[in-house]
Amino acid sequence: MKNIKIRINDLNFFYKKKPVLKGLKGEVEEKAITTIIGPSGVGKTTFLMVLNRLCESIPDCSVEGKVEIKLDGRYIDINSLPLTTLRKKVGIVFQVPNPLPMSIFKNIAFPLKLSGVKDREYIKEKVEQALKDAFLWDEVKARLNDSALELSGGQQQRLCIARAMIMQPEVLLLDEPTSSLDMEAALKITELLKSLKEKCTLIVVSHYTSLTRKISDNVLTLKDGCLEISENSKIVEGLGTVN
Amino acid sequence: MNRFVEYQIKLFCWISGVVLIGAIGILLAFLFNKGISSLNLSLIFGETRLLDGLLLKTEVVDGLFPAIIGTLLLIITSIIWAIPIGVAAGIYLAEYCNIKWKPVFNLMLDVLAGIPSILVGLFGFAVSVFLHKHLSEHIYPCFLISSLALACLVLPYIIRTTEQSLVNLPFSIKTTGLALGASRLQNILFILIPYNLSRIISGIILAIGRCAEDTAVIMLTGVVAMAGIPNSLLSQYEALPFYIFYISSDYNSQEELMKGFGACIILLSICVFLFALSHILKRRAVMRFTTHT
Repeated sequence: MKNIKIRINDLNFFYKKKPVLKGLKGEVEEKAITTIIGPSGVGKTTFLMVLNRLCESIPDCSVEGKVEIKLDGRYIDINSLPLTTLRKKVGIVFQVPNPLPMSIFKNIAFPLKLSGVKDREYIKEKVEQALKDAFLWDEVKARLNDSALELSGGQQQRLCIARAMIMQPEVLLLDEPTSSLDMEAALKITELLKSLKEKCTLIVVSHYTSLTRKISDNVLTLKDGCLEISENSKIVEGLGTVN
Repeated sequence: MNRFVEYQIKLFCWISGVVLIGAIGILLAFLFNKGISSLNLSLIFGETRLLDGLLLKTEVVDGLFPAIIGTLLLIITSIIWAIPIGVAAGIYLAEYCNIKWKPVFNLMLDVLAGIPSILVGLFGFAVSVFLHKHLSEHIYPCFLISSLALACLVLPYIIRTTEQSLVNLPFSIKTTGLALGASRLQNILFILIPYNLSRIISGIILAIGRCAEDTAVIMLTGVVAMAGIPNSLLSQYEALPFYIFYISSDYNSQEELMKGFGACIILLSICVFLFALSHILKRRAVMRFTTHT
């Protein structure tokens, strides 16, 4: 029997009182890659933002229903968790890489700074480990003090993943992580995601059948505001809802 | 769009730019032509020896030194009052203000920005009369009242630039810190403000310029012609804008008028110095945020 990390029950999301997500029900397997697919504008990104309550930053929106996450063996309603705790447990990486205009080192160490970590040696160790986990260490170890904005698109995206991973989240949400990258960079991200599923649960929004086929353990289709479980084999055969 | 119309618009924009630069050039040329001959140490220190004047050993009574110091102190003090309140109010409007109350605050801010400076001066004067009557007989229009009134005058610049710079940030930047587990305050302090530091400091530079040039406010709130360097917040003081106004409206000789032009050049130089200082601070602050320390 599969271990379930997240349980979603009757989840509704309204933007300016209009329903975007309607009565979503579903489960997300632990330590696996679950891919969300669906047509443009159906609410895939919104769904991710509901999972770590980042949607609360959007004016005029409201959420109904229940999302539970398994922490220390117990299912806990995400609304009962303090926001900062939830977002450390459920990290997110956006479609367009968003490194902060500071050095590579400072970018990766930033979540530790937010948590009040001051031990410089510990921070150095963690930064190095996060960059190694993101397959980025060899490329940037000689220029950690350079601005993160000087990195290529693929490197910036891996930096954002490393930054999200430094707090050891239990769930990592990725919104179309390869959509703004070239083939080579996308391939590196794909390999990275496969390696990360040993450490945490991954939920990936993707438009690309090839990516979905390569990395997914489970596929959920978001269509007309509803969530359906799809079989990865069907995606392989091109019967998914996306091209 | 018709190519002819497009050409006309381009030409109009070009002429506008040339007119602006030309006007500034003519103004500066006029000022330097008139005032450069009077620029010497005796304009600043009068009969007092340079070192004695600088070290405050001897009071400068017939030079501009007390007015220069008064102006610098006034600008710095006003900005010190205005920055925390202005930046905090800008953050409140951008990040915390209830959507229903925001139009009310914005209207108030527009009204404050549109108040003529003479009214702000009059308000400062009324406050000093009130305090003299109800708090202490030793309180008169003074340096403190002037600096507070000037701070009120420049608050809208700082509030607006802070608010607009925060509001116009892309959603992905606004939420970067939040997504990494930052609290709202941490997100403001560690990401939004450093990210916008350059724009916020631009607002402060505008405010410095306004503090340096305004005469109406200080005329009613404590500036006098011969007060010397202020020795407390409750002292009266001298300032260059008032000296320029006073000398240009009541000069007894051509020589005195030339001194007024000299004072204009000094005031302009103070502004340029403060602008340059602000730009250096801006660059340093941005560098500090962007590189590893």
